[in-house]
Amino acid sequence: MSVARLQFEGISKEFPAVRALRDVSFSVGAGEIHGLLGENGAGKSTLLRILSGVYRPTAGSVLIDGRQVALNNPVAARAAGVAMIHQELQQVPQLSVAQNMFLGHPLTRGGIFVARREQERRAAQALAALDPTIDPAVPLGSLKVAQRQIVEIARALLDRARIVAMDEPTSSLTPSEFERLAEVIAGLARDGVAVVYVSHKLDEVFGICQRATIMRDGVVVETIDLAQVSEKTVVSMMVGRELAQEQHRSHASSEVRLSVRGLASATKVHDVSFDLHRGEVLGIAGLVGSGRTELLRLLAGADRASSGRVEIDGKGVKLPNPRDAIAAGIGLVPEERKREGIVPLRSISSNMALASMGVFAPHGVIDHSRLKRVAAEKMKRVNLRPFLLDRPIRLFSGGNQQKAIIGRWLAAGTRILLFDEPTRGIDVGAKAEIYHLIEELAAEGHSVVVVSSELPEVIRLADRVLVIRDGTVAAELDRADLSEQAIAAHAIPQSETQGRQAQGHWAGA
Amino acid sequence: MTDVTEHRAARPRAEFLHRFSLRDAGTLIGLVVILAVFGALVPGFFAERNLINILQQSSINACLALGMTLVIISGGIDLSVGPTAALSAVISASMLVAGVPFPLAIAAGFAIGLVCGLLNGVLVAYVGLQPFIVTLGTLSTYRALALIYTGGNPVLGLPAGFRAIFNGSLFGLPLAVIIVAVVALIAWIILKKTPFGEYLLAVGGNEEAAYIAGVPIARTKIAAYAISGLLAALAAQILIGRLGAAEPILGNLWELDAIAAAAIGGASLMGGKGSVVGTILGAVILGTMRNGLTLMNVQSFYQLLATGLIILAAMLIDRVTRGRG
Repeated sequence: MSVARLQFEGISKEFPAVRALRDVSFSVGAGEIHGLLGENGAGKSTLLRILSGVYRPTAGSVLIDGRQVALNNPVAARAAGVAMIHQELQQVPQLSVAQNMFLGHPLTRGGIFVARREQERRAAQALAALDPTIDPAVPLGSLKVAQRQIVEIARALLDRARIVAMDEPTSSLTPSEFERLAEVIAGLARDGVAVVYVSHKLDEVFGICQRATIMRDGVVVETIDLAQVSEKTVVSMMVGRELAQEQHRSHASSEVRLSVRGLASATKVHDVSFDLHRGEVLGIAGLVGSGRTELLRLLAGADRASSGRVEIDGKGVKLPNPRDAIAAGIGLVPEERKREGIVPLRSISSNMALASMGVFAPHGVIDHSRLKRVAAEKMKRVNLRPFLLDRPIRLFSGGNQQKAIIGRWLAAGTRILLFDEPTRGIDVGAKAEIYHLIEELAAEGHSVVVVSSELPEVIRLADRVLVIRDGTVAAELDRADLSEQAIAAHAIPQSETQGRQAQGHWAGA
Repeated sequence: MTDVTEHRAARPRAEFLHRFSLRDAGTLIGLVVILAVFGALVPGFFAERNLINILQQSSINACLALGMTLVIISGGIDLSVGPTAALSAVISASMLVAGVPFPLAIAAGFAIGLVCGLLNGVLVAYVGLQPFIVTLGTLSTYRALALIYTGGNPVLGLPAGFRAIFNGSLFGLPLAVIIVAVVALIAWIILKKTPFGEYLLAVGGNEEAAYIAGVPIARTKIAAYAISGLLAALAAQILIGRLGAAEPILGNLWELDAIAAAAIGGASLMGGKGSVVGTILGAVILGTMRNGLTLMNVQSFYQLLATGLIILAAMLIDRVTRGRG
């Protein structure tokens, strides 16, 4: 490793208002899998955009195999051997796998006709090493996310990439899919590719990377050898302070707030029954696709139940749409914040007020001074930062967007809060704040349901856990019985449990 | 903590901007520049009579564009405004000619506009068809109904009393201008001060999120199309009052002018964004261009060219300045 495959030298990037990167230097050797860690806003994405030619640095240079390269645009970056694998895959689902792999530079016959057969043959070659079950001729949209990720990597192989940068590649993979991906990445490294791996999930980074660079506020904190440090040290480096380990305290009362009996949907939920108490945090664990999200959507009125009975405070309620669910005191903090949570162009105040317009406009006209007052109060409560209530919500970090959505339900007087993956895409510091908030809400007497793929999260928060498997409650675990092993044992269908241990990285969040 | 103090200091300005956004200021500057250019080139352009003329000539488009703005904000489009106006016009006109009392004939015209809008809204919101296709279909359908109803002939000879209603003036301004100004004020209040306005912005901005937040999606969309239909009917009444006749081919290509005014004013065809003030300014910009170029005896081909370039310029400026507002 005399000359690093990839070297960042004094990279700075300034935007009109902010300095996103300051003097960033580190190197990645050929065959190395290098983690890039940091909270949201630390500058990881900006750095990747510079690497992939989307941004040009204000100062500093990028060296590949010791030679300075001008990554002026994405095409130049690609030509220099850089392949980017994005968090949100940039593919065209309607086109075939092969077409996607040759997107932008198709193989042609005589420069006119697309050589479809030849494309498919070469695509199959590239895929063979990674996942031979993928048929290059099928539409990309028919593949699972994990397979689409593999296609993206195969595309990098086709381009003979020397550097592969992966931005949160596992955000929607199951454990076995992650294992497969980890093997593929290791394979890339064996072939001498330098891999830059960005992930929020430390256990993954520890599992597959040798070294990692930690960034905070646009500067490199340190490049570390992962064998030498603990996860805890890494977290405090990322956050810049020690995160206190919280002890779990239950606030659950014996009073039943929500009672669900025999709830079922046409598709994924079959015969779910449980009680939720006042002040309780009920965790729901299960593999991706087990029906967890669907169950929450039924309770939030977002989808219609085909049968079953729901009672709140002993009275039967109908939940045909979210509006009625909200009126009954139920609010959903959805998993996909961008798609189902926020109205991006609208302000924090507007996003907060959306679910309780009736309160703010008792006579048909919005009482803006009251709205402002309540927004200030609720956003202070959830500790919004920066505290700019008129600013469009899209300009806030994921964690603060999440706080605003929580504030929405506080403003609406919601008593039953349903969280679907409450900390997905949220950085470590904000994560702790969200946990704290959930606990406080429970302490105040709210009833909370938390669906999460991250077992440590479930164990941290829940007073009680329901394990969902194949759309039904497979087990109910009390706080005393909670462990990752216990949950995994119930969550994984029996045929799959053999030969596979419960992994730290679970059904990837 | 610094954030909080900064926030307080910036508050009066923020509040002002809240009311009159940067984007609207841009549109206003555009209008001022265009006025200045014509003022320099055309003698008598700034005469009171001509300025009032511009407002009057812009009023019908402004009326339609207000409805269009609400629909566009909701994430839709209403291509059927012209034929809706035509259908409303010929029905009102034939009732008036037949001697039906004015209020009844006018009410019938509005009812037609409302029904046309409701049908669009129901097809979009409940049947789930794409707004562009739905209103493209009703564009032909409503036009055909107007033609079939009249046999293709204009309805002539509207009573003078009816014409007087829409041709009068108040405080020296044509009544049509005042009516549209009042409509604009109402639209502004709707958008800025009512839950319906918030719902429109939310539905157009992110329908899925709005749904989860309990926004009545279907009702909101239908209301937007219904208002667009009503405003098309209002435009029709103003026009037949001015002309004294109703043609079944009236309102041809009105939808394009209305969309142009909304877009110049900052409405995004992606939904979730739009401004009443901007749309009015956009309509006046288009009206000013037409007035000024006509006074300069510019051939209509070039007028069309100028309109096209104005729209493109507005979009380019939008694109360049986006992300700073």
